[in-house]
Amino acid sequence: MDYSKEIRDIAAKLFADGKIDVFVGYRMNGFDDNQVPVVITDPKEVSTLVFTEKSVFNLTNYLKTDHTRGKRVGLIVKGCDSRSLNLLLTESQVKRDRLYIIGIACEGVVDDKGVKMQNCTECIVPDAVVFDEMLGSPRGKKDYIVNADIRALAEKGLVERREYFEEIFENCIRCNACRHSCPLCYCAKCCIDQETASLYNGSNTASSAFHALMTWSLHLAGRCVDCRNCEKACPSHLPLHLLHKQNEKVIFENFQNHLAGVEEGERGAFYKYSLKDPDDFIM
Amino acid sequence: MARVGVFVCFCGANIADFVDVPTVVEEAKKIREVKFAVDYKYMCSDPGQQMIRDAIVQYRLTSIVVAACSPRMHEKTFRKALSDAGMNPYLLEVANIREHSSWVHQKDKKAATEKAGDLVRMAVAKSIANEQLHEISVPVTKRALVIGGGIAGIQAALDIADARIPVTLVERSPSIGGRMAQLDETFPTLDCSQCILTPKMVDVASHPYIELIPYSEVIELNGYVGNYKARIRKKASYVNFKSCTGCGACWQKCPVKVPNEYNMGIDKRKAIYTPFPQAVPNKPVIDAEHCTMLLKGKCGICAKFCEKGAIDFKMVDEVIEREIGAVVVATGYDLWDATPYEEYGVGRYKDIINSLEFERMVSANGPTGGLPIRPSDGKVPKSVVFIKCVGSRDKAKGIEFCSKICCMYTAKHAILLHHKVHDSRAYIFYMDIRAAGKGYEEFVNRAQVETGAVYLRGRVSKIYQKGDKLMVRGEDGNLGQEVEVEADLVVLATAIVPYKENPALARLLGISYDKYGYLSEAHPKLRPVETAKAGIFLAGCTQAPKDIPETVAQASACAAKVCGLFAGDTMKKDPMVSTVNKEFCSGCQNCVTVCPYQAIVTEDIPLGHGAKETRTVAKINEGVCQGCGSCVAICRSMAINLAGFTDPQIINEIVAI
Ligand SMILES: Cc1cc2nc3c(=O)[nH]c(=O)nc-3n(C[C@H](O)[C@H](O)[C@H](O)COP(=O)(O)OP(=O)(O)OC[C@H]3O[C@@H](n4cnc5c(N)ncnc54)[C@H](O)[C@@H]3O)c2cc1C
Ligand code: SF4
Ligand code: SF4
Ligand code: SF4
Repeated sequence: MDYSKEIRDIAAKLFADGKIDVFVGYRMNGFDDNQVPVVITDPKEVSTLVFTEKSVFNLTNYLKTDHTRGKRVGLIVKGCDSRSLNLLLTESQVKRDRLYIIGIACEGVVDDKGVKMQNCTECIVPDAVVFDEMLGSPRGKKDYIVNADIRALAEKGLVERREYFEEIFENCIRCNACRHSCPLCYCAKCCIDQETASLYNGSNTASSAFHALMTWSLHLAGRCVDCRNCEKACPSHLPLHLLHKQNEKVIFENFQNHLAGVEEGERGAFYKYSLKDPDDFIM
Repeated sequence: MARVGVFVCFCGANIADFVDVPTVVEEAKKIREVKFAVDYKYMCSDPGQQMIRDAIVQYRLTSIVVAACSPRMHEKTFRKALSDAGMNPYLLEVANIREHSSWVHQKDKKAATEKAGDLVRMAVAKSIANEQLHEISVPVTKRALVIGGGIAGIQAALDIADARIPVTLVERSPSIGGRMAQLDETFPTLDCSQCILTPKMVDVASHPYIELIPYSEVIELNGYVGNYKARIRKKASYVNFKSCTGCGACWQKCPVKVPNEYNMGIDKRKAIYTPFPQAVPNKPVIDAEHCTMLLKGKCGICAKFCEKGAIDFKMVDEVIEREIGAVVVATGYDLWDATPYEEYGVGRYKDIINSLEFERMVSANGPTGGLPIRPSDGKVPKSVVFIKCVGSRDKAKGIEFCSKICCMYTAKHAILLHHKVHDSRAYIFYMDIRAAGKGYEEFVNRAQVETGAVYLRGRVSKIYQKGDKLMVRGEDGNLGQEVEVEADLVVLATAIVPYKENPALARLLGISYDKYGYLSEAHPKLRPVETAKAGIFLAGCTQAPKDIPETVAQASACAAKVCGLFAGDTMKKDPMVSTVNKEFCSGCQNCVTVCPYQAIVTEDIPLGHGAKETRTVAKINEGVCQGCGSCVAICRSMAINLAGFTDPQIINEIVAI
């Protein structure tokens, strides 16, 4: 998977035609063979753009920054990224007519060591679901998989599951990198930082981290698209995806196979009101 | 520093039998902020309320906790007590130690007492964070919408209109009148149904304060008490009512025959028809499902014969809107379909009919000229078996409840049968005779004595054909033996059930209904005509089976409620509504989709101070908001605050236990 040339051409043309003000893509990090996101405003920098199986980050996260706010943006999205983009559109965070979206029919990306990411091996929607232009040949939807880790979690009782997460989260340093890296965490003032939220306040104790992360995961339940930006950003290397995947499974099973962001205009599972909503499950 | 008063109620024995009330008081006294705690037998009584008023003044209390029954019951009462003592009524918290403790933990007094203590601790903690709130006042639209034009709807409309409040009466069928228009004479006095009903129907049509919209249905209701907006679909009647004089030339000439609903399908009506001679309005409508002109583009005979040119085949459904302040739902009842009674041969034997079919036959204006006949051969029956509780009180096949009116109308049917066919005999299979009501027992006695009707106590087990007779086999419980009656005609008193469209209507109106589809009242004893949704009331059989006197009484009660609601130009509303903190709102609009009352809209505000760019945030209409809190729970930004249930209040509660 190497669309570097195609993307440079498209970006150059978009700038030349005056269709965009900025382009959000990937470039080499400059010291090894890994990449970093880049926000280009100068058409001359287009030549630095790359796109390969090392293009791991979900770029829709940059739509909530001042680099792009109010501007016309060119952007690359893989399958999972496009789902978060769909949610951002539905939740009125970005305007569709300000975006030029290059969708990728994604073959999966690899981590620093070149190993295929776990979420990519289980990916259900590899092709971008929202785009102006598509690169690669679409691969179609795959079946939903509940992997062994999540099955093991589900088998734990409620108390045991809680204890398991409490133990893991003891290593959280409350740096909030997970929140900052999540494209769907865009609140004007995160609830965790509000004064009334005394449960999370004031300290970096294990219990405050537990509450903060639990709340965070619930705010992403039915919305998380499993791009793993958070996990890549976490300096403590916490397996944050376990929380999200556990929620995803419960929601998939209880809300008619709901998967976040796949359908255009569809809100997260918890953000619709129906008398028929199931209420006999615990996350 | 907060100074809280705690008042624990015995509720007679309701609480005191299962919760150790003095212990709860002692527990309350241990809380630092509690400056006064006391118990009393009936806190809601005047002396009880006086204790609260006195303590507020004497101990300079800053908030009050009453540990008693559900706030649904007496929150208003106690709020008023606070007001009377000069305290803001919303500084009250009710700890429900009855429904939430004594009633549900009757087997374990110790645990129930502990839980009551916890509930009090939570309420005290919450009350400390309570803020002074003030009632919201919203303007009211003084017009009532009455849905359904049976006797219930008619009575409610007339009573409201007589108070000079405009009413819009929406009836689904071409005429008002409902089931009562199908009845012959009525128990318990045997006065003629039509004679007492038709004058009221005419009054409706001519009343200056009533707008009658027949052949129509309500398709949407938005808004809130005092300010609803209804959308009403007027079905195309294909007859221009303005020019039609009701002469009837059209339906006399129409060649298409359709089973006549008014006569329970016993005879036929035309494709263009007025349901019955006394119909109001007395104008025909074309039944689009059967008219050949509308189906195949051929015919048009009625149009040829209409001198006024009133027939208009191009007419289409029309949707109109009305702004109203209150709704009375009076959509009546249907008869339960007795098909599950296979052993009776329902559907197989022609001479088994239901009670309304019998009612039509014996009616002077009925399809048989007032004589009961056998559908199979048209002969007048001599031996008629009436079976009560068909479907009713039969959990296995039908429904659990008692249809309430069948005992009475079956007695009436025995009398009517006797009047029409002197040498006949009625056999009545019954489970019990329920004749509670003024003059009702006497009426049943009259049926038994005057007509010689044979009352047999027991369920019928089987009906089978023998020659041209129906053999009805059942139990005579009084004699303890099996009996078999030879019948010419069998009349089933099938259960009274709501129309099957009732649940859909309820959902559209946003009110609740029970498992049978009957609309639910707010409280079975103390709020029998209100629904849980403010400004929507229930009259007649749409709520439960009832006879005419009860229906009329309930309809008048609805009218009184509507008049009360419209007594002022504005209406007071609970201030427990949500507001959006724009600064925190991220504009995701998830709250907009989640609000069950459509109370949330959006607005654009400047992106920053003095900025030209805008951003979209949520905005809540306090008049519409019912304070359900759904938006508060769903807002990830914690940008919404529900007065009376603020985060500090809730967190205080959680921390207290
Ligand atoms: C066989 C029999 C004999 C009876 N005899 C007696 C008697 O002798 N004495 C006595 O006191 N009671 C008697 N009753 C009971 C009596 O019929 C009822 O008490 C009375 O008719 C109830 O009136 P209502 O207005 O609630 O309902 P209904 O008469 O059913 O009126 C409901 C009206 O609402 C309309 N409607 C329904 N759904 C909608 C909708 N979605 N939108 C708009 N309009 C709608 C219907 O078309 C109808 O006009 C008898 C009942 C039966 C079955
Ligand atoms: S990034 Fe890691 S350490 Fe930082 S807050 Fe999130 S989980 Fe905790
Ligand atoms: S849910 Fe909260 S953040 Fe989203 S629009 Fe509503 S108030 Fe604003
Ligand atoms: S509390 Fe929120 S969701 Fe509930 S009615 Fe009010 S605005 Fe709607």
